[in-house]
Amino acid sequence: MDRYMRRLESIETFLEIKSSLMEQYDHQIPTLVIPAGTCGQASGANALIRAAKKELLQKKLTRKIRLRVTGCHGFCAMEPSVLVEPQRTFYPKVTPDDIATIIEAVAHGKTVNRLLFIDLETGQRIEIQDDIPFFKKQTRTIMSRNEKVDPIRIHDYIRNGGYEALAKVLSCQNPQSILEEVKASGLRGRGGAGFSTGQKWQLFASQRNGNDKYIICNADEGDPGAYMDRSILEGNPHGIIEGMTIGAYATGATEGIIYVRTEYPLAIKHLNAAIKQARGLGLLGDNILGTKFSFDINIVKGAGAFVCGEETALIQSIEGHMGEPRQRPPFPIVKGLYGRPTMINNVETWANIPLIINMGGRTFVQIGTEGSSGTKIFSLVGKIKNTGLVEVPMGITIKEVVQGIGGGPSGKVKIKAVQTGGPSGGCIPASRFDLTIDYESLKNVGSIMGSGGMIVMDDNTCMVDVAKYFMNFLKDESCGKCFPCRKGTQRMHEILDDISRGRGSSESLELLEELAMAVKDTAMCGLGQTASNPVLSTLRYFRDEYIEHIEKKHCPAGVCKDLITYFISDRCIGCMLCIKACPEGAITGTKKQQHVIDTSKCIKCGTCKDVCKSEAVQTI
Amino acid sequence: MDTKYILNIIQNNSHKKGGLITVLEKIQEKYTYLPEKALRLVAKETGQSLTDIYGVATFYKAFSLKPRGKHYLCACLGTACHVRGAQTIVEEFKQQLNIMPGETTPDNEITFETVNCLGACALGPIVVSDKYYLAKVTVRKVKEIILNTKEGKYGSNETSNGHVFPIEAFCPQCNHSLMDNKHHLDGYPSILINFSTDGKRGWARLPSLYGYFTKIYENEILEDTIVSFFCPHCLSVLPDSSDCIECGAPFASMKINNGDGLFKICTRAGCKGHILELIGELL
Repeated sequence: MDRYMRRLESIETFLEIKSSLMEQYDHQIPTLVIPAGTCGQASGANALIRAAKKELLQKKLTRKIRLRVTGCHGFCAMEPSVLVEPQRTFYPKVTPDDIATIIEAVAHGKTVNRLLFIDLETGQRIEIQDDIPFFKKQTRTIMSRNEKVDPIRIHDYIRNGGYEALAKVLSCQNPQSILEEVKASGLRGRGGAGFSTGQKWQLFASQRNGNDKYIICNADEGDPGAYMDRSILEGNPHGIIEGMTIGAYATGATEGIIYVRTEYPLAIKHLNAAIKQARGLGLLGDNILGTKFSFDINIVKGAGAFVCGEETALIQSIEGHMGEPRQRPPFPIVKGLYGRPTMINNVETWANIPLIINMGGRTFVQIGTEGSSGTKIFSLVGKIKNTGLVEVPMGITIKEVVQGIGGGPSGKVKIKAVQTGGPSGGCIPASRFDLTIDYESLKNVGSIMGSGGMIVMDDNTCMVDVAKYFMNFLKDESCGKCFPCRKGTQRMHEILDDISRGRGSSESLELLEELAMAVKDTAMCGLGQTASNPVLSTLRYFRDEYIEHIEKKHCPAGVCKDLITYFISDRCIGCMLCIKACPEGAITGTKKQQHVIDTSKCIKCGTCKDVCKSEAVQTI
Repeated sequence: MDTKYILNIIQNNSHKKGGLITVLEKIQEKYTYLPEKALRLVAKETGQSLTDIYGVATFYKAFSLKPRGKHYLCACLGTACHVRGAQTIVEEFKQQLNIMPGETTPDNEITFETVNCLGACALGPIVVSDKYYLAKVTVRKVKEIILNTKEGKYGSNETSNGHVFPIEAFCPQCNHSLMDNKHHLDGYPSILINFSTDGKRGWARLPSLYGYFTKIYENEILEDTIVSFFCPHCLSVLPDSSDCIECGAPFASMKINNGDGLFKICTRAGCKGHILELIGELL
């Protein structure tokens, strides 16, 4: 035990420790893998883990069955789940009471059929995780690491090939060759804009302004609906540390900072533990693995401001000021944090670095398309059956993601659009779903790749409401430094609010479009310049919905409350479910008689519609 | 206001780069908000203008200039939650609590806020009750959530569905049992060990029921103090090479059930960090 805790004084000792860790690990011992990221915990993973420990202790199986608590595996809709190695049996939505049955079966080398995943399409049960369509159609180069390591145990990461890439670059002692690998990989920034990572690194490496050079991991994942960065930070923090350390070695950076949202407490906890462990083993800090190379990483917590994801605002925030962006140039790469050259990359970009070094840039570039190489993790959420994080090669079509992996709509209602790129992105209509996903194609249809949020919307989603939602978000989050963004987002929100309340006029749309273009052309930072995208893209593809709101004072999706009235049709079978469910007591009626909604009491929350089994509650 | 405490925070952090945000965070941790007096003190001590400090304190959502309630409720308004009806849930909270987001109920029980995204999008709409995440919230559950929050029910033992269990602790050095059958906690024998810190020493008692966690000390110890735990029989320190995941202080570990694993507890007074590691999880 002690031998593994000692500081690694050379690359050779690291390799020895790694091989001995690998040799010691008996792959035949059955292992229960339980994902417990933030989402796993929210769905009850902690109770599951406790129940598993109780069972293993009471049945005296602690030496026969292993337990591994990991970060998120991606199939969030099925959590809390259990994966049993080495067979890779997948049990979805496991309750603490089921765990005893599973452990009993595992101890006897059996599976519990009744708890296996059911493929809704075929009605068949599927045993092996990799055979489930959700997993089968993905290319999980980054996400697959989450299930292999317990994020609070550095030796798990090392045993699975962790820090091998770092050892490799330290032993070949040629920073330029790393830059060449990253350039050859064709990797582009995963934070949104898609700038070539290799070029950025080369540019940064050539900066000779003074002694201090900073690299930053931008973990201020503010796009609502995107959470792949959280999942990587929580599930595989050492991957980020390794990526950044390699980056520092390649570019001559002296210090690293991870700027992480305060809204991600578990990620912060795991990062802190990981950094401490890496320092302890000599994988971070002075004289890494006994070489002359020194580099350390510190964590800076954000304090809740979306604009801090913009690089110049982020730098302001790290310096302890208000997070207001500033004019570029000078670009941070020349003059950034404390006036020193600073390079900022997104979490997912850093996570790709060890993979590129291990497989070689030329292999990496084979994944994906010519202009957009590698994989991209999307958070597939909203009105979709298989919600979760999906990692796919660039160049896959939206349809394959939404239908093939996502399994189609969550309810009976048809999918209408997907929204990508967060508040800077746009809505892509279902008619364009054969579009291949890469940086350019998404831009061409008026959206952006962004950080990878993919929010699925169905016919019950109102596009005016979506535009209003984003504009409300942006007006709140606008830092207020430049006038076009501060006032423009506010005014656009007012117009959209008017339309959603039936107060729009025929001039509203023209005004909205004009304003959107003006903000796009004149705002100072990237966030302001893209703030109009939600409006412009919904106007482009769903103009008729806007017109219906304005001319007919009608919301076709039944969302804009001022324009709808709930009523119960003659399909009502008089089951009284809605009467019990109504939080306002607005529904009256007796058994087997058609119920009635008192519109003066109705708050239009839609609960009755949700609970009605005969689709009798409708809106006009 | 504890001037000494705040001066201490300023002293420990303001020399660091970007220290202001950390200073404000620590002050807020202690008082749940940023009292005016504290901000004036920060200005005086650091030489930064009060205007700049006020700017930072109001720019970031995490800071509050008003005292917060005993409990905290927060509804996520991320896009995924929004398309699943988060707005109607916020409306219901507003109505039930009779306050607007960002406000505290007059009885000082609950502060209600909204957040732009918590990144648990698959389980939306999400509501956070104190530190506990609630998934797939509906309008109908709002009343119950408020009630449970006031009573602090989430994350407590009542919600663990009976999956708590007693463990038996032994000294990893001398193998002597650490159980005290004479003093029960939560209906089970307690674990009794010794502690020492600068100038103070005595016994510390823990419940053996895994899932319940408190540390009771013989004498009063200042929060944040790091203590050493040791075996009352062989007097050797309960060692561990890993650190508490919650606060980073060293863990102290005991053997459980004659070698089935380790029970690790945080050595920082006031920290509830603990972990039960089964032998299969270890190297």
